[in-house]
Amino acid sequence: MQMTNPAALPADWRDLLALTKPRVMSLVVFTGLCGLLAAPVMPPPVIGFTAILCIALGAGAAGALNQWYESDLDSMMRRTANRPLPAGRIDRQTALHFGVGLAAFSVILMELAVNWLAALLLAGSILFYVFVYTVWLKRRTAQNIVIGGAAGAFPPLIGWVSATGTIDFLPLLLFAIIFLWTPPHFWSLSLFVRSDYAAAKVPMLPLVAGVAATRRQILLYSLVMVAAAIAPWPLGLTGWIYGASAAALGAGFVAMAFAVARNGATDPSKMGPERRLFAFSILYLFSLFAAVVADRWLVQ
Amino acid sequence: MTRIVDDQPHPDDEIIRARQRERARIMGWLLGAFIVLLFLITLAKIGTGR
Repeated sequence: MQMTNPAALPADWRDLLALTKPRVMSLVVFTGLCGLLAAPVMPPPVIGFTAILCIALGAGAAGALNQWYESDLDSMMRRTANRPLPAGRIDRQTALHFGVGLAAFSVILMELAVNWLAALLLAGSILFYVFVYTVWLKRRTAQNIVIGGAAGAFPPLIGWVSATGTIDFLPLLLFAIIFLWTPPHFWSLSLFVRSDYAAAKVPMLPLVAGVAATRRQILLYSLVMVAAAIAPWPLGLTGWIYGASAAALGAGFVAMAFAVARNGATDPSKMGPERRLFAFSILYLFSLFAAVVADRWLVQ
Repeated sequence: MTRIVDDQPHPDDEIIRARQRERARIMGWLLGAFIVLLFLITLAKIGTGR
């Protein structure tokens, strides 16, 4: 019987959807929506919807281009080996065309329907993620996700600019919060899946600087991030709902980061604190940005 | 030179056609939604005078 080469078949739409990293996109869409809803002025609903759609499509395009470039790495890591490209369900050219087309479409639609500054920021975030993080930094330095984290920090800024057309201090702080949140989030993951990164020769911090140094860095970044997250309240940019939420969530984050710093285990099966911090960091970001919106609509 | 023509139905043909049909249907829905979105954006732009 003749065997079918999956890559020779037309790509299944589910695989094209998987190229966009839908789970990452959900966080991007949520923070972008919160940036838009936290703005002092509201665009017409259809313009707001289009702005969020463009952010989602732009994030999907960046994810597709990232997978196109990194298919060799993905095939070496257990966590990513079943993605459409390393599994051979999509050919590289289809993935490249899909990513470039989606990126161009999202930026052009953002410019036509929303405003040029939001389109410029969206284009910048896609290009930053693809060229600065994926192509330049990821395989070269342990600071890959520190600098590359900026790409994931753009959505609330783009959401705000979609509503106002201007860049203000609060969305810049929201940008800073995600920028500072990214290292403890990814380093806690990289601690308990570091054998994957070692197999793919990706220079994540635990492999380059060691497990103990990574735990110290996680704690340091967590302290700075929590301080930055509380800052909008004393600066008068948000009300008490956000301030109380940021303080309570921050206390939980710091407590978990301390637990990570105290953990001496090197065996991934004994890295409970790291797994808990990784899971909580996602809940933390969702909750913090929900608090920004709740504060804007209920207090201000 | 002899050219061999394979007239037998290939097991992949049905998979290919099914995927093409499915993608065409999804693309049709997406294009329809895009047209509606453009119409609503136009109305909103006219409404805000931009």
